[in-house]
Amino acid sequence: MNEKAKAKSMANAQIQLNAGRRSFLKNSVLVGGAAAIGAISATPASASGEDVILQKQDWRTDLGDGVGTRPYGTPSSHEAHVIRRNVEWLTADPVSSVSFTPLHELDGIITPNGVCFERHHGGIAEIDPAAHRLMIHGLVDTPLVFTLEDLKRFPRENRVHFLECAANSGMEWRGAQLNGVQFTHGMIHNVMYTGVKLRDVLNEAGIKPTAKWLLVEGGDASAMTRSIPMEKALDDCLIAFKMNGEALRPEQGYPMRLVVPGWEGNMWIKWLRRIEVGDMPWQQREETSKYTDLMPDGRARRFTWQMDVKSVITSPSPQAPVLHGKGRLVISGLAWSGAGKVSRVDVSIDGGRNWQPARIDGPSFTRSVHRFYLDIDWNGEPLYLQSRAIDEENNVQPTKDALRAVRGVNSIYHNNGIQTWYVAKDGVTENVEVS
Amino acid sequence: MSKFLKTIALALVAATLSGSAALANGDVDQGEKVFKKCKACHAVGEGAKNKIGPQLNDLFGRVAGSIDGFKYSKAMIAKGEEGTQWDQESLAAFLSKPKSFVKGTKMSFAGIKKQKDIDNLLAYLGTFSATGDTEPTTSETSDQTATTEPVEKAAPLKNAELPTHGTYHLGRMASEAEIAAWNHDVRPDGEGLPDGRGTVLQGEEVYVEYCASCHGDFGEGAGRWPVLAGGQGSLQNERPVKTIGSYWPYLSTVYDYVQRAMPFGQATVLSDDEVYAVTAYLLYLNDIVTDEEFELSNENFNSIEMPNAANFYADDRANEPQYNASAEPCMVDCKAGPVEITKRAQVLDVTPDQSN
Repeated sequence: MNEKAKAKSMANAQIQLNAGRRSFLKNSVLVGGAAAIGAISATPASASGEDVILQKQDWRTDLGDGVGTRPYGTPSSHEAHVIRRNVEWLTADPVSSVSFTPLHELDGIITPNGVCFERHHGGIAEIDPAAHRLMIHGLVDTPLVFTLEDLKRFPRENRVHFLECAANSGMEWRGAQLNGVQFTHGMIHNVMYTGVKLRDVLNEAGIKPTAKWLLVEGGDASAMTRSIPMEKALDDCLIAFKMNGEALRPEQGYPMRLVVPGWEGNMWIKWLRRIEVGDMPWQQREETSKYTDLMPDGRARRFTWQMDVKSVITSPSPQAPVLHGKGRLVISGLAWSGAGKVSRVDVSIDGGRNWQPARIDGPSFTRSVHRFYLDIDWNGEPLYLQSRAIDEENNVQPTKDALRAVRGVNSIYHNNGIQTWYVAKDGVTENVEVS
Repeated sequence: MSKFLKTIALALVAATLSGSAALANGDVDQGEKVFKKCKACHAVGEGAKNKIGPQLNDLFGRVAGSIDGFKYSKAMIAKGEEGTQWDQESLAAFLSKPKSFVKGTKMSFAGIKKQKDIDNLLAYLGTFSATGDTEPTTSETSDQTATTEPVEKAAPLKNAELPTHGTYHLGRMASEAEIAAWNHDVRPDGEGLPDGRGTVLQGEEVYVEYCASCHGDFGEGAGRWPVLAGGQGSLQNERPVKTIGSYWPYLSTVYDYVQRAMPFGQATVLSDDEVYAVTAYLLYLNDIVTDEEFELSNENFNSIEMPNAANFYADDRANEPQYNASAEPCMVDCKAGPVEITKRAQVLDVTPDQSN
């Protein structure tokens, strides 16, 4: 394509984009990267047809990069806006803070490693695996030290689990606050872990009969710790060294992390370096000052480990508005439960007046996210979208009002209330609460 | 001004006049690692803003205490008025003992002990200064001086005797010294407390030096850093203030957390006695002890009861009414009346800008 034709084609594409985006760009909160959205519909720009067909594209005529030019591949430059983002005002310093998974841009059930949300308390520890050790001591027959290579010689397991921060949706207790599913629900990711059973590793050291609790500790600058009851440790916990087939990312605990399926993310100690076996909980800062749930009577719940049944529609959502106008609309979302599998997801398009079962597609694993869809014909009238998950123990995701009636608005953690997205006639989508 | 400082000041003037300050001999990559100690309070690089401390772009050649909009100590401003400019020498002197070089600086940092670390740090900071008088060496030549020693991979033990423990005979026995090196946790029953002691007044000194810049002089918290004191009686309020005094159930958690993770960016720098002292001071700030002479030690530690200890109870979410509904969830005509929007995120306008 000559330069002139190229410029013209780009200009046409831009006009189409602008038409679709004008109405919501003024909201200033929406995704960047116009190029990433692509043409909204294949409307011919002239009588003869579309330039993208009538004109030759560069990639049709010019040879591309050969193999080996991208030894570790990265997404298309047109997907550059699909990134973790943080909320600067939320914490005092980015070294002890959180970034959020771009749920609105993802599909299926697996979160790509590079966009899994982060929560660090002393920054990312950059650990040389050759200098990393895992120690087990306390109420054991033989205190032991393992290298990563030692650990890989135990029998391995592969499991897909969600990791959700207990504070996910915590900013929404007082009402709709953040205008994007990335920020309201993005403290979750779901990957396949390869690791070894914590039970096998503990048994190697030999647990004494009086042992009831573990203290697990990270090797980072915060030396993060949590107490874990022995029953859970012996049930389904893993020490993982791979995620989605490759080594854990440094920001996810390289070279090894704890996997505590269905329980709050803070317990999944990253950069795991020490396990102490004892007979009572240690009452660490993250299980007393933090991760306890303040109730309206001034008392607080503690050891609220399990994540509740929960779901959210990821598209449409404020960062993924409806650009195509009325007609076919794919409503898509995620559902999960710390109790096991999700058995059903209902979707309402009228703010909870009426519900219809959504279609769960893709694998259904225990304590993993499930992908659901509802395919509708949109008549172009406003939508008040909600989703409601039900898990295999028959727990039903509650409304935010039901939660607030019991817990007030100061418990920070474990907000699994039903989310409402308002889709206006022009497709602009907003985080709201409804009557 | 002390004789020592005069000497330094004269040396600085001389260096500035001669215009040929000694060149730094540091390694930029190593310096970036050293900077981790600083970055809780200082930013450098593109778009760096003032945080707890001033931003450090174009530091070399900057007059001390001269960044507009940053609230310096009087001492630092005076330093600049005396003619101190930041260069290799002045920064090296300041960073080795901040409170000696600028008596009264509010920089809560004990200093960097190793000259090599200072050289490396200055080489790193020099890369953000247009007038940097540093000449960093390449990392190739400095590999031998890397602070972290390369760890040898264990040589493969072919056909060695298997240990007898466990099912798979993996791992090796931990030595007592190794366990002692890592096992510093403290439980509510006092298990894990080291021998040691410290008074409220001693704790105040530690607190002012290491803690006050983030947590405030009286534990009130600067910016969004945690509030440590006060808030008693506020837990049922619209905006509860959860502090050590108003919320934390166990004193052991304070000791454990401080020795584990504080001061932010300088974890493990405090001695056992200093941790006891600062713990005692936090009790004092929270009116849990009222005597400035009070000394906290491993001997009396368990006698301290925290005011909110009784107000925690086990997870009882399963008893909440919304989880007790045994009936099938409603599918049709579940709510009366037309749907109305009651709350809107848009109105608050606190969502981050997402342009790239």
